[in-house]
Amino acid sequence: MHMQNLKANTVRTAFCALLVSFALVFAGAAQVAVAPTNAYALDTAKCTAKPNVSGSSDVLGGVETRITWEGQADPDEQIAGVTFTLPEGTTCEPGDTRATMLTGDDLMTRTNLDVSVDYKDGKLTVNFSEPAQAGGYFRVEIYKVKFSEMGGDMQLTGAYTLADGTEVAMDTLPAITVKSHSFFESLSDSLAQQDWVKSWNSVLFLKLFLNPSVFVSSLPVVFWGFLMAIGIVACAFPLAIPFGLLLSLMRMSKLRVLRGIATAYVNVVRGTPLFLQIYIAFFGLPLAGIQIPTFPLGVIVLAMNSSAYLCEIFRAGIQSISKGQFEAARSLGMNGAQTMLFVIIPQTVRRVIPTMTSEFILLYKDTSMLAAVGTMEIVMNAKTIVASTGSITPYVVAACFYLIITLPLAKVVGNLESRLASNDTGKGGKKKRKSKKHAIGTGDAAGALGSGAGTAAAEARATGDAVAAKRPDAVEGTGITPEQMSSL
Amino acid sequence: MTETMKNLTNETADGAGEGVAHVATNGQAADDGKPIIRICDLHKSYDDLVVLRGVDLEVKRGEVVVILGPSGSGKSTLLRCVNLLEQPTGGQVFFEDTEITAKGTDINAVRAKVGMVFQSFNLFPHLTAKGNVMLAQQKVLKRSKEEAAKVAVEQLTKVGLAERVDYKPSQLSGGQQQRVAIARALAMDPHVMLFDEATSALDPELVRDVLGVMKELARGGMTMIVVTHEMGFARDVADRVIFMDGGVIVEEGTPDEVFDHPKSDRTKDFLGHIR
Repeated sequence: MHMQNLKANTVRTAFCALLVSFALVFAGAAQVAVAPTNAYALDTAKCTAKPNVSGSSDVLGGVETRITWEGQADPDEQIAGVTFTLPEGTTCEPGDTRATMLTGDDLMTRTNLDVSVDYKDGKLTVNFSEPAQAGGYFRVEIYKVKFSEMGGDMQLTGAYTLADGTEVAMDTLPAITVKSHSFFESLSDSLAQQDWVKSWNSVLFLKLFLNPSVFVSSLPVVFWGFLMAIGIVACAFPLAIPFGLLLSLMRMSKLRVLRGIATAYVNVVRGTPLFLQIYIAFFGLPLAGIQIPTFPLGVIVLAMNSSAYLCEIFRAGIQSISKGQFEAARSLGMNGAQTMLFVIIPQTVRRVIPTMTSEFILLYKDTSMLAAVGTMEIVMNAKTIVASTGSITPYVVAACFYLIITLPLAKVVGNLESRLASNDTGKGGKKKRKSKKHAIGTGDAAGALGSGAGTAAAEARATGDAVAAKRPDAVEGTGITPEQMSSL
Repeated sequence: MTETMKNLTNETADGAGEGVAHVATNGQAADDGKPIIRICDLHKSYDDLVVLRGVDLEVKRGEVVVILGPSGSGKSTLLRCVNLLEQPTGGQVFFEDTEITAKGTDINAVRAKVGMVFQSFNLFPHLTAKGNVMLAQQKVLKRSKEEAAKVAVEQLTKVGLAERVDYKPSQLSGGQQQRVAIARALAMDPHVMLFDEATSALDPELVRDVLGVMKELARGGMTMIVVTHEMGFARDVADRVIFMDGGVIVEEGTPDEVFDHPKSDRTKDFLGHIR
C-alpha cells in the first residue's frame, strides 16, 4: 500500500512537474486550472495575512499579523507536518501557532491538532503529534508575525511532510502584500498597546482629542501638509510685499486714477472674505477656460489678498513718518522718488516689520482656507486621518503645526515692538528733552515730530492680533496726508 | 563747546574751506545791488484761514534778514514759501532770475540752492551724521561717494562735529543735531540759507553753539533769512529786521531802528513783552 502510494506519488509528481513547466511556459492560469483536478499534492486553498489590530484590513510592516494558511490534502495523503519559510526580515513568535483539521462531508468535523512547533532561521516547522487523517482540509494559523517594515509583496514558501517522512514542497503560495510601516506607525502601535495609553484613552475626552497613538501616527501625515503650507506662504508673502508697496504708493499718489484703482482694489479685497475669493478663483477660472494648477493658484490668491492688507500697513507706516522728513529731503532738492526711496522707505521698513510679521502669521494661518478647494495643506491632511480614525486628535496635531510657527513669531513681534516702543520713548520728543538738562537728546527730528503718530501706531499694532493688523485705519499715523505730499 | 569755538576760530583765521570761500564770493556779489530773492504781494491761505495777506520783500546777496513776530504772524509760512514747501495762493517769488512760482519751474533745482534749517532738525534718523550730509550731495548734485564724504567731513568739522561724523542722530544732543542739519544744508553750496526757528527746540545752553555757527556763517557773507526769537542774535547779526504780524510786514529796518525806535505800537508791544 505504502509502496504503491509512493510510486503513484512519484509518477504524479513527475507529471505535475511537466504540467508546471507547461504552465510556466504558457500561463500561470493554466496551472491553477489544472492542478486541482490532479490534486496529487497538498493543495493550498489560501494563504493570507490579517493584522492583529482591529480597524484596518491592510497588512502593515512591523505590525503583529496573523498568517492563515489553508490546504486540501489528497484523499490518500496523510500529512505529518507542514513547514513554512518566512521571507527575510520577518519575525514571529511560534508559541501560539495553531493547526486545525476539517474532515468529513462538507468538512463539518473539526479537529484541533496537537502540534509541536519549531522555529529556526525563519523556518517554521509545525509537526503534528501523529500523522493526520488522509484527505483532510488543514488550517494553520501563525500568530504574532511581524513582516519587515519596508513592506512589499511577501512570498512564503511551504513544504509538507507525509506520514512516511517524505518532504514535499508546496506549490507557489500566493504572495502577501504588506504595506510599509513607518517609525511613527510602529510607535503609534506600540503606544496603543501600553497600559497607560489604554487608561488614558478610557477617558472619552482624552481619547477624542489627545489619543497618543493617533497623535503619533498623524505626525508624518500632517507634516506633509505643514511643508505644503510653508511652501505656500514662502511663495505668497514675498510676492505680496512688492505688490502691497506698489498699491500703497498708488493709494498715496497725486494721480486720481491710480489712487482710485488702488483704493478700489484694497477695499474690495479687504471687504470680502478670503474664503469667497478662493472659491471664485478656483471655481471661476476653470469655467472661464483658465487652467492654473492648484499650488500656484493658491499662492496667487493668497498673495493678492495679503497685498491689500500689506498696502494698508505700508501706508500707515509711511504716513507715520513725520512730515519734517519729507520736507527736509525736498528742501535739499531731492525729488519725490528719491525722497521715498532713500529717506522714507528705509525708515518705514523698520517701523512696519512688526506689523508685517503679524500679517505673515495671518497669511500662514490663512493657508488653511485652501483646504476648502482640496489643497493638501495642514488641515486637509489632518481631515483625512480624522475621517479614517474618527478621532479629533489629528486636528490637535494640526494646531501644533500652526503653533510651532506662530508662537515664536508672535514672540519676535513682541520683542520688535517693545524695542520700537523703547526707541520712541527714548526719543521722547520735546517734553522729555526739555525736562532733562544736558540730556543727550536721543531725539531725532522724526522722533520729536512723529513720536505721537509712531507711538499710536505702535500701540495699535502692539496687540498684534488680527483685528489690529487687519484694520490699519485704526493705526494710521497723523503724519503727512496725500494732499500735503502732493503739495511738496 | 570750547572745541566748537576753537574750530570756528580756526576757520575764521584760515579763511579756508570751500563753503566759506564760496559764500564770500556771494558776499562780494552783493555790491551789484540785485536782489537774490524777491517776493511780490505774496498771499497764502488754508481754506478759510488767511496766513499771508500781501507780503513784499527783497533780500540782497550777502544780506542777513531776521524776521520777528508773534506766533501765527505768518513768518514761518513766508519762509517756507521761499522754497515752495508751502505753495503760495497768490503773488510771486523770484530766486535769482527765476520766478519759482511760475508753472514749469524746476523747483528741485532751486531748492538745491536754497538751504533750509528746521526747528525740529529733521535729520534722517536711519543715517549717520555723515550719511545725512552726504545723501543729497550724491543724489541731487551727483557727486561721487568719495567727494560727498570729503565735503561732509569738512562741513561737519566746520560746525564742530569732527568727532561725531559716524554717530546716528539719536546719539547726538539737540544742539549737535541742529549743527548736523546746518552742515547738511551747507554741503549743497547754497546761495541762500533759510533758518526756521532753528534754536527754538533747544535747551538754552545748546542754543549758543548753534547761534555761534549761524553768526560765523553770517560773517562769512552768506545770504540768510532767519526766523527767530533770539533778540540778541538779531541785534548782533541782522542787516535788517522785519517785524511781522497778522500776515503782513508791520515794520522793517536796521536792528537799531526796529529795536530802539520802533514806530508801530504793535512792534513796541511785542518787544515790550519779550523784554
